[in-house]
This record gives sequence, C-alpha cells and structure tokens, in this order.
Amino acid sequence: MQTLTIDFEFRNQIIDTGSHAKTLSACYQCGTCTGGCPAAKVTNGAFNPRKLIINSLLGLKEKLVQTLSPNVWLCTTCQKCVESCPQGVELTEIFNLLKNMSVDAKTAPVAFVSQGQTIFETGFTIPIQKAIQGRRERNLGLELRKEAPVDEVQTLLKAVGWDAKFPTEEPAETGGEDK
Amino acid sequence: MAYKVFLGCVIPNRLPFIEAASLRAFEKLAVPTEELEGASCCPDPVGAAAFDHKGWLALGARNLALAEEVDADLYSLCNGCVETLKAVRAELVDEHEREEINELLSQVNKKYSGKVQVKHFVEVLYEDVGLAKIREAVMNPLTGLKVACHYGCHYMRPSSIIQGEDPLNPTRLDELVEALGATPVDYEEKMLCCGNATAKTNEETSLAILNTKMASIQDAGADCIVVICPACFLQFDNYQRALKKEFHREYKIPVFFYTELLALALGISGEDFGVKYHRVKAKSLLANLTA
Repeated sequence: MQTLTIDFEFRNQIIDTGSHAKTLSACYQCGTCTGGCPAAKVTNGAFNPRKLIINSLLGLKEKLVQTLSPNVWLCTTCQKCVESCPQGVELTEIFNLLKNMSVDAKTAPVAFVSQGQTIFETGFTIPIQKAIQGRRERNLGLELRKEAPVDEVQTLLKAVGWDAKFPTEEPAETGGEDK
Repeated sequence: MAYKVFLGCVIPNRLPFIEAASLRAFEKLAVPTEELEGASCCPDPVGAAAFDHKGWLALGARNLALAEEVDADLYSLCNGCVETLKAVRAELVDEHEREEINELLSQVNKKYSGKVQVKHFVEVLYEDVGLAKIREAVMNPLTGLKVACHYGCHYMRPSSIIQGEDPLNPTRLDELVEALGATPVDYEEKMLCCGNATAKTNEETSLAILNTKMASIQDAGADCIVVICPACFLQFDNYQRALKKEFHREYKIPVFFYTELLALALGISGEDFGVKYHRVKAKSLLANLTA
C-alpha cells in the first residue's frame, strides 16, 4: 500500500507567490479545464489539469514535484483551461510554479534543463548554427546573425541562481533543442 | 509606425526562409523591418518560464529595456516571443516588481520603465496596415487555394495579457488569408494546440495531439496549413511524416508561414525566399497555383 505524504504548507506556498497563484483557492473541481485540455484528450485522462489542482490544494507535493504523478510537464501551456475556468483559476501560472519546483527538485525532463543551459551559454534557445549562417548568406541574401550579449545574460541569470539549477555531476547534453 | 522587429531565435537560427519572406513582404507594405539590436532569447514562455520564473522575467525585461533605449515599440514574428514580452510587460506593471527587476537590470546598466508596446505581426498587418491596403497590393491572388488556419495558442491566450482578439474564436488570420484571394476552410479541431510544447516531455503525447489536428485538417479538404508561429511551423512541417509510422495515416500537407503566402501574393517568388527548405514540399501545390 502506498503512503501519501501531505505537506500542509504547500497550498500556502503556492498562494503566497502572487496574485495569479492566489486563484488556486477558487477551484471547485468542476473539470471544465480537463474537458478542453489537449493533453488530457490524447492521454485518456492520465494527464488531467483538475487533478493537478486538487493535489495542489491537498498538499500532495511529493506527487506533484517528486514522482510527477500526474506529470505537470505534459501541460502544453495552451492556456485553454485558463480561458474557460468559471472560477478564474490561473492554471498555467500555477503549473509553471510546479514546474519551477520540479526543476529545483531535479526531477524536470532533461530537455528542459538543457534548454536552460543553452540559454545560459549562448543567450538563445536555438543558438546560431554554422549551416544556417551559410544558408542565410549564400542562399537567402540575409545578414549573418550576431552573437547574443552572453556576458549580460549570464550576469542576470547568475544573480537569480539560474545556473545553480544545472546538474552537478555530469553536465547534460547541451546544444540546440530539436524542437 | 515606430517599430523594431524582435526576431527571436527560432526563425533566424532555424527557419531563415521565414525571415526572408516576412521582411521582403513587409517592405512592400511599408512596415518597418529594422531589427532590435542586442536582444537575447525572449526568453521562451514555455521552457524558460518553466525553468525559472525570475530569470525569465529578468531577460524579458532586459529585451524590453533595449527597445526603450531606442524609443521604439516592438513587433515579433513569433507567438512565443510575443507572449513572453507581453507577459513580462504585464507583470512589471506592478511597481514593486518593477523596482526589484530594475535593481537586477542595473547590474547590466539597463532600466525598464514600462512604456514599450508589443505586438504580434498579425496585429501590425491587421491594425496598422489594414486588409484594404493588403488587398490592393496583391499582384498574384491565391485563388482556389484552400487554407487551414492554425493560430497557435500564445497568439491569443491568455487573453488577460495578450489583450487581442477572441481567445477561443479568432478570425484575423482567416481574414488576412482571404485578403490574398485564398479560401480559409473551417475544421473541427481549429482551436487545438499543435502539441509542440509537450515534445520535450513525451514525444508520444506531442504526436498524438498533432495527429488529431492533422486528421481534422485533412478531413476538411485543406490544400495547406497556415501558421503564424515558428514552433507550430516546426511541429507541422517536421513531424507530420512521423505520423505515418505512429498512426498509419499519411498527410503530406504543405505548411506555410502566413508571410510566405503574403510574399507570394505580393509577387515575390518562392525561390527568392527559400520555400524549397520546407520538409513537406510545396512545389507542386505552388505550380498549380500559378498555372
């Protein structure tokens, strides 16, 4: 039998982050969010925004942040739920908070972490690529791209502790995301 | 129009033909095409905001501050960039938050005051140029071309931040397609997400969403798909081939960025802006169109 740990402060931890997250309390579990959700539609309800919200309200932090069951990272951020919620719950904002917590707990999908590293290292999500530079110049008559001001980007990101979230043992693969 | 373009990173560094088509078409319509210098990633409202909210906010504010330095408003070719820049702007209306971010920005000698406006290029075309002027400029009407319009979620949602058109029933892209002489077709899953944002978590989910969307587009008899976001473009153009293996259904429906169709209609040839770089080839469709 599985034991669930309840974190009684979790709900307040979410609510205290600001005006968007405060709307968590207004949920009455009608499920309108799930009815319009693209990820719920194709996972037969395994991903389900209503469940993410009730788990947040109940303080089931372990399920949301550690074991990712349900997996908040399947949210496409399409924001349909936000538009249709009769109670004005800002689900996507709340899910982004959960994702931030998952990054801190080192449970985020590796591709999101490597994107964070790529932004830190190059200033871009899709860095400048030699082949594309050639295509720009030779085939399309476009100017070559200039590097981003990486020093300024790193100054800002270091100040908020962005780089402290990278894996410490082996660095994950970096470079352009395929998507 | 005192605009600078915020190009972002997906279009210039991955899909430069979209940049070429867009800027050449905009020049014909007298829309400013000078780029905002010194920008970084917007940063991505999906991945970067999920990674760390504060860092996302700081880089976004730095980009907005750059526009203020040159006294320009911004427009972007990317739904993601538009959402981030509008969302950062909305969050920093709060004086306390703005002070906090400006403290950070002072480390790189930047300051954000909140005066810069941000638009999607569709808003620029629709509001600043107008359908009438576009219709007048069309040299090669795209008569008979049946187009499935896909708006992409972040173009219109969350409406509290985007403050654009109806977030669940938008029409402007359809109207802009119609202005080129083409015919927008309605389809069941018009408001469904393309699925791109879940690919980094689980490709199966991402492809299942895409397949639902593609089936609906094919059933409606569309000749092509039109998008206004580079992430959606990548999803439709790169991944519809994968659906054959996963779902045993073949599509081969060409995908265009709206500005590519605009360029074609304004008399710029597909060879000039690199339509050949599409994965799903559009050659025979375009040949039929000009025949």
